[in-house]
Amino acid sequence: MCGGRPRREGKDMSSENFTDRSAEGEQRQEPSRRSVLHGAAGLAGAGLAATAIAGTLAAPASASAAPRAHPGRAARVSSSAEPVIVHVRDVGSGEMDVFAGTSRVRLRDPGLAARLAQAAR
Amino acid sequence: MSSHREAPEISKDPVADSTDLYAFVSPDQPTTVTIIANYIPLQAPAGGPNFYEFGDDVLYEIHVDNDGDALADVTYRFNFQTRLRNPDTFLYNTAPILTLNSTSWNSRQFYSVRKVMEDGTGTELAKNLASPPCNVGPLSTPNYASLAQAAVHDLGGGIKVFAGQRAEGFYVDLGAIFDLGDLRPFENLHNQYGMSVFTGPAPGVNATNRVNVHSIAIQVPITDLVQKGASGESDPRSVIGVWTTASRQAASVFDAETGKTVTSGPFVQVSRLGNPLINEVIIALGDKDLWNKLPPAGDKQFAHYYAQPGLAAALPTLYPGVFPNLAALVASGKPRADLEAILLTGIPSGIISGFQNNTGSVLSDMLRLNTAIPPSSNPNILGLLGGDLAGFPNGRRVADDIVTVELRAVAGLTFPLVDNTFTPDGAASKVTDGLTPASVTAPFLTTFPYLGVPYSGFDNPS
Repeated sequence: MCGGRPRREGKDMSSENFTDRSAEGEQRQEPSRRSVLHGAAGLAGAGLAATAIAGTLAAPASASAAPRAHPGRAARVSSSAEPVIVHVRDVGSGEMDVFAGTSRVRLRDPGLAARLAQAAR
Repeated sequence: MSSHREAPEISKDPVADSTDLYAFVSPDQPTTVTIIANYIPLQAPAGGPNFYEFGDDVLYEIHVDNDGDALADVTYRFNFQTRLRNPDTFLYNTAPILTLNSTSWNSRQFYSVRKVMEDGTGTELAKNLASPPCNVGPLSTPNYASLAQAAVHDLGGGIKVFAGQRAEGFYVDLGAIFDLGDLRPFENLHNQYGMSVFTGPAPGVNATNRVNVHSIAIQVPITDLVQKGASGESDPRSVIGVWTTASRQAASVFDAETGKTVTSGPFVQVSRLGNPLINEVIIALGDKDLWNKLPPAGDKQFAHYYAQPGLAAALPTLYPGVFPNLAALVASGKPRADLEAILLTGIPSGIISGFQNNTGSVLSDMLRLNTAIPPSSNPNILGLLGGDLAGFPNGRRVADDIVTVELRAVAGLTFPLVDNTFTPDGAASKVTDGLTPASVTAPFLTTFPYLGVPYSGFDNPS
């Protein structure tokens, strides 16, 4: 199925040069704002790049849920190279879920929700 | 099927779709238990060039409860990673794959195994373990059996693991059963909706023959799974409950610019399997997706499906006059306490001589195994119904005929366990879909990982 791209590694079989592409393969491109907004439409939500969300998390929105990891699995904090996905559950109340790493945070920020909805139009 | 494509959501996600779960005291290593969790159903062996593989973005787990609360006391967690040697070819392999580190094998998969305890503490048992390739054919994967056997990894401490393609060992006449409950050996007795399609009995057809699955198999010492001090068949501490789950991150977005899916967030359960055929046949369509996302500890809400199974009500209608006593039982409204005991709590002591696999009062779908019952020297594929205490529903072995066992139980054969005034219909001890392990072309193995060598794409279909 879908998911993280496979790591590339080892010998480039098209030539005799050994090419270790592991590092290249491991890097996840930070999705562009446009592409994530596109994709998130299918979730009935909206998405922003990590840098944008980092700013909003510092804003005085109410976070009603602590980061939650899989049982027995330490929550993994998103690095700047990892995607942050926002699901605006209800634009009116501003209720939204922010997914990053292996955590989810429930926010309530009507202003941000309204701006995201406007940006998605 | 046991649990192949059993619910609407998971039927669209085969990589995370658990198909069968087995748990048994290893016949050749009786101080150990083997647990096998199968995923990715109904693989056509020739399905290249992107042959089947586990999901790098799926968290696969095998859970064991040993204190009856239907919460995992021990979990084995498997994470996979696909590595490409050469992204610039379309080929799975560029020459014969003779070893697991063959440079001609392009798309390989590796995995880690982590043991996690109930309190969340974990130990990494191994990492960078190689899965075998899929069985492509005589040019690409010659000597496949030995190649795959090299992917059985000894982790020390009596633990072995294997994760890779296997021949489907579950046998079932899907084509008939899902055609309005037809059982070919008795299809002349089916009401046929007045169409007179069948004039006589016919042999069963194994719809899952010559297809492959992906297995996660682990063999561990019994003492790693049971509570300390467990001793003997009658000791409740000898009983474990087993289930498998697959989880995905909660959020995913398809990035149209890269053609890749971006995932994020906590892992959430999308697939679950304990006893065979439960979500497939017992749980109603409207609750199947919910069932898949919940832990077994929450199964009380589904108990009414066991108490009044739809299949029990359907059999007398589909086969008029064949199940009169079952029809009367259904009409009486008596709850099927036998099915509840077998499937939701385990069978308590005092019901079957020398046997119990009860885990207490918490209603939960787990595959319950009394680890103190030794492997049978003469296994009966009908397990407990055949007088073999080492077989289903005491765990499940790879050759057990769980379709027939559950058909007969639902048909009323086990109701006398809880109500000795009930007389099962004669048909209840005969009903079957007409298949046996001989219906599986690839023979089972006598040693770990027990499921047969997968069918090659070259030879199947033939």
